[in-house]
Amino acid sequence: MEIYINGMACISHHNTIDENYFFEDIGSVPLSNQLTATEPNYKDHIPANLIRRMSHIVKMGVSTGMMSLKSAGIEKVDAIVTGTGMGCCEDTDKFLRTLLDNDERFLTPTSFIQSTHNTVAGQIALQIKCHGYNFTYVHQNLSFEYALLDAMMLLKEEEASTVLVGAVDEITPSMFELFYRGGHIKKLEELQPIWNSTTKGYLVGEGAGFFNISANITPSTYAKIKGVKCIQGITDSSELENIVNFFLLEIGLKKDQISLVLSGNSGDVVTDNKISEFNKAINQPIAYFKHLCGEYFTSSTFALWLAANIIKRQTVPLAIFPNHEPLSNIQNLLIVNHHEDHQYSLMCVSKC
Amino acid sequence: MDALIDKLKGEIIEQLNLEDLKKEDIDANAPLFGEGLGLDSIDALELIVLLEKNYGIKIQDPKDAKAIFTSIQTMADYIKANQK
Amino acid sequence: MANKVFVTGMGIMSAIGNSVEETLYSLSNNKSGIEKIRYLETSHKDNFVVGEVKLSNTELIERAGIGNYNRTTLLGYLAVKEALKMASITDMKEARTGFISSTTVAGMCHTELLYKGFFEGKNNQNFIDYHLNGVSTNDIAGLFGISDYVTSISTACSSAANAMMLGARLIKNNILDRVIVGGVDPLSKFTLNGFNTLMILDSEWSRPFDENRKGLNLGEGAAFLVLESEKCVKEKNKNILAQLIGYGNANDAFHQTASSAEGYGALLAMQKAFKVAGITPDKIDYINAHGTGTPNNDASEGIAMQTIFGNHVPKFSSTKAFTGHTLAAAAAVEAVISVLAIQNRMIFPCLNRKEQMKDLTITPVDTLEKNVSLDYVMSNSFGFGGNCSSLIFAKN
Repeated sequence: MEIYINGMACISHHNTIDENYFFEDIGSVPLSNQLTATEPNYKDHIPANLIRRMSHIVKMGVSTGMMSLKSAGIEKVDAIVTGTGMGCCEDTDKFLRTLLDNDERFLTPTSFIQSTHNTVAGQIALQIKCHGYNFTYVHQNLSFEYALLDAMMLLKEEEASTVLVGAVDEITPSMFELFYRGGHIKKLEELQPIWNSTTKGYLVGEGAGFFNISANITPSTYAKIKGVKCIQGITDSSELENIVNFFLLEIGLKKDQISLVLSGNSGDVVTDNKISEFNKAINQPIAYFKHLCGEYFTSSTFALWLAANIIKRQTVPLAIFPNHEPLSNIQNLLIVNHHEDHQYSLMCVSKC
Repeated sequence: MDALIDKLKGEIIEQLNLEDLKKEDIDANAPLFGEGLGLDSIDALELIVLLEKNYGIKIQDPKDAKAIFTSIQTMADYIKANQK
Repeated sequence: MANKVFVTGMGIMSAIGNSVEETLYSLSNNKSGIEKIRYLETSHKDNFVVGEVKLSNTELIERAGIGNYNRTTLLGYLAVKEALKMASITDMKEARTGFISSTTVAGMCHTELLYKGFFEGKNNQNFIDYHLNGVSTNDIAGLFGISDYVTSISTACSSAANAMMLGARLIKNNILDRVIVGGVDPLSKFTLNGFNTLMILDSEWSRPFDENRKGLNLGEGAAFLVLESEKCVKEKNKNILAQLIGYGNANDAFHQTASSAEGYGALLAMQKAFKVAGITPDKIDYINAHGTGTPNNDASEGIAMQTIFGNHVPKFSSTKAFTGHTLAAAAAVEAVISVLAIQNRMIFPCLNRKEQMKDLTITPVDTLEKNVSLDYVMSNSFGFGGNCSSLIFAKN
């Protein structure tokens, strides 16, 4: 069975909410160690009576879901599957701080209710009155990939003919401090291009990506999803090479049929070690994306959105592919992602 | 009394994130729930905490809340009657 | 999709016991685990009764013998260990093996102790390494050497039902041969206070399906089941505990926390489960209800049962007055109880119930019933965000 992306939307650091925008305005050098989201006017996508209680992540997730539906030209879906690595950090932080600061008094329910990880999936269901299958994955860097695998399985089982699948993560001041003090986030004075980094730490990001997938091709189809694979961990880059070779075999592709690899290098010289070696070994054109969206647990949504856009537009933005001859006849894109050398994933998207 | 009603309006707008509303948009006698402001059960819980935190009044049974929160006027009356 | 799914192992840690055997003993002796707060550090110590696992963190660390993990991982590890032992599984590489865990608060029990100090600069402990939902899943999978398929899900109080449903689908789709599924949630100040803000905690023992019910008692725990394919079971001549034949997941799409008055999401989840199981509602012998003891849940769930079963609602009870509401783990705790009911021909009672609910015509089982033949048992679980799930187990 072929599975198609028939609609999609993405909120990221850049103006990806504008469907005509494709990174024409930016160079390749990172500008900050914190890439916060460029937000839409949420009131265009969420009714006022629902929006007033929503925190940043819920607004990002729900509005991206609604924009994806619009892009697919539909209003209803049979199932909603979401992922989030960290969940609703702002609401959790708010409730926890109030609790600890007031000796467990004067607490109100709103931030508690919205701190649960399935809030975004529940709110989308509420907004479009979707009584169908509703599921939320919370497996850190593989949260989106497992959601996507589930969504694809629903189509294969014929439990659904259209699925809205997506993921979202937010960076809050508390989480920034936590990751910064833990040495995960790159120091401002050590910013470098992520593909050629000699310093530690990543650029932290946030964002949301949602996709309408179906077994039926439509006029709005962007690309087809050939395969998705989750990898708990690897011991060295040759293990990653072997897994990639096996993955390509499974989906019926040869290595030289991959037009471009989107590599999830984060700019951390230590934890990028294996993926950088892999990038050299695969000997195919490599592009990078985390200087545009930053590192977050569901950055794969950005990568998939980017890949599907590249296939549809048949052009690779210079911002991710500097100093290269333009590619033509872009057929298959392979996304290889990881988070600090944990939880690797592979996704392959192809031209229809 | 008018000062209390004015204060309550501000506190409710803030607590319930009714950011599109101004104090003068709210009629003190209009129903808070259903029609009128269109608040729901979660808002009622928020208002219970507001009374406790800002006025030192504790509502033990959520069932009592319904009458107290009929309108801003009834809330103000309740605060007047119960504030120590 | 003809592949059958069998339950071959179970493990449980809850307020009513630290093993399946202890759980059965408590259930068949009307022994509730709801008591005054003993271990959780909270200023509500005297305000609420809860269902704590009757072991301190130190005792759990000693019992597990795997090092200084937090309560979440320790509870989960111990339940998984028992389940694997019961299923006689030692070699994870002999078949495609998965692990699906679910949790709502994950490492919050640990985070809330360190959070304030960290941001005030008093400590530098990076609790985030234990806080996130995937962490305990990865730790437990790693300790047992499971790597073919490892994931974490969170759909509030229906989480573990969805873990079981996903596991069954992965076996039916021939992606896995066997999978350990379930959930874990530790008690935390975060959840205790959270439910308190919603004013749905009963300060006394909860009374599911009673006219005067005031709310739920929180619990904690972990429960995991081993699901195996027909091929696995036949090859190894496994002892079968039950079959997981039906599952349904639907969304109420009514309100962020409250259930609709007619229980539409619950109704849909049950209907889907019947469809997957290929049986009609009249086959069900017993329902382990979600039955939290909140005014809203029990009314809504009861109405949904009356709608789907008409005048023939099967025997039903909620066992949450034994265990407390264990949130993400609840559906797995109740799956273990459902399988125990089938195996031991017993229906465990709805404790503390006195007065018939006026909204309902149906009455739960409120005293232990023995020697009842249970061929098909349904277990319901619902959660915030409108998430509703229903499972059907069959005696083999």
